Amino acid sequence: MLARDIMDTRFHTLKPHETVAQAVKMFQTASREEGKKIFGLIVVDDADRLVGMLSMYDILLFIQPKHMKIWGEMEDLEPDRLFEDLLGKVKGIQVGDIMTTEVVTIGPETHILSISDLMINKHIRRLPVSENGRIIGMVYMSDVFYHMLTQFLD
Amino acid sequence: MVFIEQRSILSGMLVQEAMRKRVIWVSRETTLSDCTNRMVKNKVAAVLVTAGDDRPVGVVSKTDLIGAFYAGLPVETAAADIMAAPPLFCFPDDSLESAIDQMHARGVHRLYVSGAETDRVIGTLAYPDVVGLLYRYCRACGKSISKVRRGTEDETNGSRLRVGDVMTTSVRACKTDDTLAEVIEELTTHRCGAVLIRNPASHAAGVISKTDLVIAYKHGEKTGIPAKVVMRRPVLSCDANDFLSLALQQMLLKDVQRLFVYKDDPARIVGVLSLSDSARFRSGSCRACTSGRLIVGD
Repeated sequence: MLARDIMDTRFHTLKPHETVAQAVKMFQTASREEGKKIFGLIVVDDADRLVGMLSMYDILLFIQPKHMKIWGEMEDLEPDRLFEDLLGKVKGIQVGDIMTTEVVTIGPETHILSISDLMINKHIRRLPVSENGRIIGMVYMSDVFYHMLTQFLD
Repeated sequence: MVFIEQRSILSGMLVQEAMRKRVIWVSRETTLSDCTNRMVKNKVAAVLVTAGDDRPVGVVSKTDLIGAFYAGLPVETAAADIMAAPPLFCFPDDSLESAIDQMHARGVHRLYVSGAETDRVIGTLAYPDVVGLLYRYCRACGKSISKVRRGTEDETNGSRLRVGDVMTTSVRACKTDDTLAEVIEELTTHRCGAVLIRNPASHAAGVISKTDLVIAYKHGEKTGIPAKVVMRRPVLSCDANDFLSLALQQMLLKDVQRLFVYKDDPARIVGVLSLSDSARFRSGSCRACTSGRLIVGD
């Protein structure tokens, strides 16, 4: 069982110059069209080369106030107003500013056991499948999980 | 000669109480574009550059990136080409005061914290974290504003520091049509973190901070474009008469490094209060424990 056999060839992408708001919309679109919850999207340049990955984690990390400990101690504040101000920071920020640029990829011939090993050791839930510099599919942890386990349990 | 030991509420505190354990690092080959990415995402003003064996070899700060922007270096330049070396270190059991002294003497805004093995970096210490610690200390104090019921006058109000007491009165400003290159010159000459952008009527129209400049650099803008394209609005400000602790609270919660200060009329900016300036006041936000308030001059 190889990456080629289990990868999903329907996937959505982002461009580095798109805004965070556009990325959030794409998360919704991708989840709807791919029929699964999408937590991360690959980012490709105009020549379709992989340049990064943007996950919900990256966006949350950016919005998270740096002095979170102090927020935690402020029961007497109205947090909504301050939260709006925090979100204001997102204006002018592009996907390329906060995406993860070091992305692990696999080839179409990577074996499912190597894929699961990568996911376990590097805490990765999705791996782009790259062939000749192009992304041809995505392998999600759930694909690996169900392919491996349904075989045993059937 | 008689030495009188000055005491502040930071006396007795150690670096490990204020340091952040999360260290953002890059490799020597990481591009300036990717360095900016790490800084923006993690809200830090500098990244540590490490060699292949994880040994820390230098630092790239927003100031260094702005220098590269001004010099016209491509954003694909490697971190190692512009980094400042070597990084400056302190130890987790150093006193916080000695670390602040070292930062001030060396003109840096952060120190890296190394463990018993000096090649292993275990944290960073930066001015805003010191202010955050001071603020939490003040807030927990029995005389804290948060402990006083709203609308009641209490006897400690008179001793609370106000923004006007600690702000810097020199406000660096540029005009909306000045180029980014001129903005960078103003920032660099006066070693400040942001400049106010005034419109032709001399009113505060926006702000350009170091962060805004490094983002413009990453987005491929040129230094010849006018300030108004990049400036951020609105200008976050407070009244000179506001309590210092409330202004600090606003900065810490909104993740901003500074507030511009007005007197009575928000259009008339008379000063600026920055987290770094506040860190120089090693005491808290009222005079109740400032018997040893220590002000470090420039």
